Amino acid sequence: MSTEFLSGNHASALAATLAGRANRGGRGFGGGIYPITPQTECVEYLCQQEFERGEIVRVESEHSAMGVCIGMAFAGARTFTASSSNGLAYMTENVFAAALYRLPIVMMAVNRTLGPPWNIWVDHGDTLMLRDSGWLQFYCENNQEVFDTTLLAWRLAEDHRVLLPVMVNQDAFVLSHTMMQIEVPGLEQVERFLPLLRLPHQLTEKPVTFGGLDFPHETEVHRRQHAEAMARVPAVYREVQREFEQHFGRRPADAVDGYRMDDAEVALVAMSTMSSTVRAVVDSARARGQKVGAVRLYMFRPFPEQDLRQALRPCRRVGFLDRDISLGLGGVLWAEGRAMAPAGCLVQNYIVGLGGGDVRPQDVQGILDDLVARQRAEEPRILEVAT
Amino acid sequence: MDHSMEIRLHGRGGQGGVTCAKILAACYAAQGRSVQTFGDYAGERSGAPVRAYTRVSDEPITNRNKVYEPDHLVVLDHHLLGPDVFAGLRPGGSVLVNTPEPLDELASQWSQFTIGVVDATRIARSHKIGTRSVVIVNTTIAGAYARMHDVPLEVLEKVYEKLGFRGNFAAAREAYESVRTHRGSAQPGRVAAPAPAPVLAPVPARKLPEVADLVAHRESPPTPLKTGNWSSLRPNYTEHLAPCNAWCPAGNDVVAFVQSLHGGDAKKGAEILARSTPFPGVCGRVCPAPCMEGCNRAEHDGTVNIRGLERWIADAGLAPYGRETAAAPRRVAIVGSGPAGIAAAFVLGKRGHRVVIYEGEAELGGVLRTGIPTYRLPRAVIDREIGAVLALGVETRLGRFLGKQEIAALPRDHDAVILATGLQKLTQLDVPGAKLPGVEQGIHFLHRVNLEGGMRLSGHVVVLGGGNTAMDCARSALRCGAQRVTVAYRRTRAEMPAIREEVDQAVEESIVLLEQRAPVAFAGTGRVEAVDLAEVEMGPPDQSGRRRPVVTSRTQRLPCDHVLLALGQSADTSLLPAGWELRDGRVSANGAPLPVFAAGDLATGDGTVTHAIGSGRRAADLALQALGLPVAPFARPDRETAVPATDVRFDHFAGRPMAHSLVLPVAERAATFGEADAGLANADEAHRCFSCGHCTRCDTCLVYCPEGIIRREAPGYGVDYTYCKGCGICVEECPRSAMELSDS
Repeated sequence: MSTEFLSGNHASALAATLAGRANRGGRGFGGGIYPITPQTECVEYLCQQEFERGEIVRVESEHSAMGVCIGMAFAGARTFTASSSNGLAYMTENVFAAALYRLPIVMMAVNRTLGPPWNIWVDHGDTLMLRDSGWLQFYCENNQEVFDTTLLAWRLAEDHRVLLPVMVNQDAFVLSHTMMQIEVPGLEQVERFLPLLRLPHQLTEKPVTFGGLDFPHETEVHRRQHAEAMARVPAVYREVQREFEQHFGRRPADAVDGYRMDDAEVALVAMSTMSSTVRAVVDSARARGQKVGAVRLYMFRPFPEQDLRQALRPCRRVGFLDRDISLGLGGVLWAEGRAMAPAGCLVQNYIVGLGGGDVRPQDVQGILDDLVARQRAEEPRILEVAT
Repeated sequence: MDHSMEIRLHGRGGQGGVTCAKILAACYAAQGRSVQTFGDYAGERSGAPVRAYTRVSDEPITNRNKVYEPDHLVVLDHHLLGPDVFAGLRPGGSVLVNTPEPLDELASQWSQFTIGVVDATRIARSHKIGTRSVVIVNTTIAGAYARMHDVPLEVLEKVYEKLGFRGNFAAAREAYESVRTHRGSAQPGRVAAPAPAPVLAPVPARKLPEVADLVAHRESPPTPLKTGNWSSLRPNYTEHLAPCNAWCPAGNDVVAFVQSLHGGDAKKGAEILARSTPFPGVCGRVCPAPCMEGCNRAEHDGTVNIRGLERWIADAGLAPYGRETAAAPRRVAIVGSGPAGIAAAFVLGKRGHRVVIYEGEAELGGVLRTGIPTYRLPRAVIDREIGAVLALGVETRLGRFLGKQEIAALPRDHDAVILATGLQKLTQLDVPGAKLPGVEQGIHFLHRVNLEGGMRLSGHVVVLGGGNTAMDCARSALRCGAQRVTVAYRRTRAEMPAIREEVDQAVEESIVLLEQRAPVAFAGTGRVEAVDLAEVEMGPPDQSGRRRPVVTSRTQRLPCDHVLLALGQSADTSLLPAGWELRDGRVSANGAPLPVFAAGDLATGDGTVTHAIGSGRRAADLALQALGLPVAPFARPDRETAVPATDVRFDHFAGRPMAHSLVLPVAERAATFGEADAGLANADEAHRCFSCGHCTRCDTCLVYCPEGIIRREAPGYGVDYTYCKGCGICVEECPRSAMELSDS
């Protein structure tokens, strides 16, 4: 284990490089890549690496990038790509294909606001647009978690009980371009954690067809199988958490990452880096005697319904902080999570930090004050914090 | 105790502020602290004010917000200084500024803060860090930061090593040593924080900017932001010295006449040449072309064939010389009608002065006529070009060499005298048998061939030497009927002073080159029958930088029928009248300067037509100046100031080999004295010219300007400085170094 000083982009690329080399005894590593701000540094880093087996293929679009991953994954290679925002929008058809083919591809996505009007900064609308694509989704809070999640994603994806692609998400610039120290294991440690990929439907010399015409009764079965695989993820993830801790001495976060929630009457729910700010506000509120806690959704797909329900059990007021908006509905996190709050609980949605606005402690404090003071829930509030 | 701190850097896009923040973070990380570093990323490009941040703490860092209340500031460009930069700086904080300004001014203006100043731009520039247009100061100023904040130099050095900036460490060390600081008066503390502003309070506590409706949200470039306010540098269109111009001894505006050929019209080129030389047709044939040695295209795909283009212009027709009317015409005598004498007459004649040329031969031209064979330089070319000079009203006195007394008398009848007698003294060979009949000075041979014609030779002719005279002798001997011609030279072929093409053509014509051979004796009874040649080894370099030939005792006898000596010539100052002393091109008698000047090889001994032209021009100017006329004497520009090849953007120029002139096949040329070289087929070669240092209106600046604020405007381009950020991209991308950045 060594300490490296890396940006989120490079942390992810380094994890992919190690995971890729770890499969050199199998069918190697590869992926198609196409650059987009703020992901570019990740794929630049990858292009500078050499792999004994496989290669990174530079293609002309995100759609093709995922196409290359699909082909390589079918061939049995460990595969990786990265994208962001409008690039993901363009990739979408093949994003769905990758999951419906049950291929254990890992994609790092840097969360960036969809345009137009043009915006390169963070919000979560781009990957949440893909919440129904059949991929697993994790939202990271810091550079170490970006590295660790990229590694464990393959362990989870390649597990035969799961066999699904995993999206590892990080906030644009706040993580992707911010450098911090992280702990990096050696290749041998990674090899022990990540066994060689054995894809059950791996291509052989005998030509076969995948994804031909599915009649209704077949689709019903295939979708149910996909849903059942998703349903198995929380349990498999808990195993992976233990394995990861045994190999690297760090325990990855729980799918639902609660903070000072045991007796919390008020909870603020968020994802990604905004959760750090929420915890700082919780600390100062606790210091004033308020029974406040924070919940972070680390795993968003499959939606950790049971864990969230458990975490919110003591609450009487819950605020969902969404860095996204499903236009015509409200925050996606709120929309999916509000039913997990206990009966009679006041649940209010705050949409904050869209387009990269820097959500500061005083902004979260304002939300907390509002949540504590209000008599009843209203429609989602869209807040402006950017200066 | 928490030693956490926050640093904010202010710079411009392209200065490397984010990397600077990373260096600072790496320094603290190397000392075991937790660090975090990031930049502000936006749509703005080079030159825009940008910020970067570094956090340092003894605890794991969880704060993911930007830095609003920094402990320390680093300002990479002093033009950015203002309330915006100081906003939020904590009392007792420090500010490090890259500035050439003195410390006192800043220290008194912001006395509550600790101020450090360092001229990182000067240091980085002296260490050549950055590009030719934009100096990158980040790795330099980090050294100053280290000194201000007690980061040990060894830590900094290790960080530079690790981050791959080892080459920039010397600059960082210089900044470390030269930063000057002034302690601030205020005690460390916190900014009086504004009361928490709940975003949902009934009255908005924070003033939010007005945002237009989405459908009304339209912008047209350029942005309404007056980005010119950010600028500390501005681009200018400047003419820089082209190397061809710097290298031309005659002082021709080479880049201008080559560029004038773009329209396919030779007339403008002839007018440009007529300003500086009477001999474009001559030089277009026989010049060794130092301009081509200097040509930057040599570094890309071969030099431009400038000599061929000069000939192309001259052959299309000379431009008429205008003759000014001198207010008080002076009378000037010129002794010698070689290229230097004619060039002096050309300058004086155009200015309206009265010139008399004294020439010992029956015809004008000096060495052009006596020394250079007609297959290289047809007599019609000499006649036409000298004729144009005579048309300026120049008088001539031909057919008699002046004696010392006659020369001494010239100043009595003339306001000034220019001596251009050339290289009359021939290098002799003092070896046994040198007096044998059949051993002859090559110059004498050429004189006879060129002036008398009809010379016949037979048998084996050996030429001794390696300059142009040697090649002229060898190829003339062949044309006079010699069955076999051998050139023996004491150095190697590559070191021959002769024009390379002449050597190549001689070899094509079956002339044999014997390299590293020196004559030690001639043998024969009553007439030369053989030459003894000793092998020569190359020793250490001599003063000229060429390796010194060392003659060995290994000899070889070469039978021959005729020997031509072409071992060099020098100025014969014994021609000067008694009491005359020549120094630095001017004659004095008994310590008193006379209005007598030397020109050409008599003055310089450079031995080429082009040098003679430049020297003749200068002597004429000096004579006029000595006569009290307001003349700036011609002087060759400093080659060191010419645009170097590294300042030319080769990637703008597709590779294309040099166009060579059409040379007649050996069978057609080697037996006659008709011109062997037919010149270039067309003037397309001019398109290969980079036009170093001279704008060609190529639009590259306009195309690359990220703001789109360069426009075509007579005579070249206009820059809208309201929006120009001074990013330097136009200067960086200019293919030919015809722009530069200066302080705005």
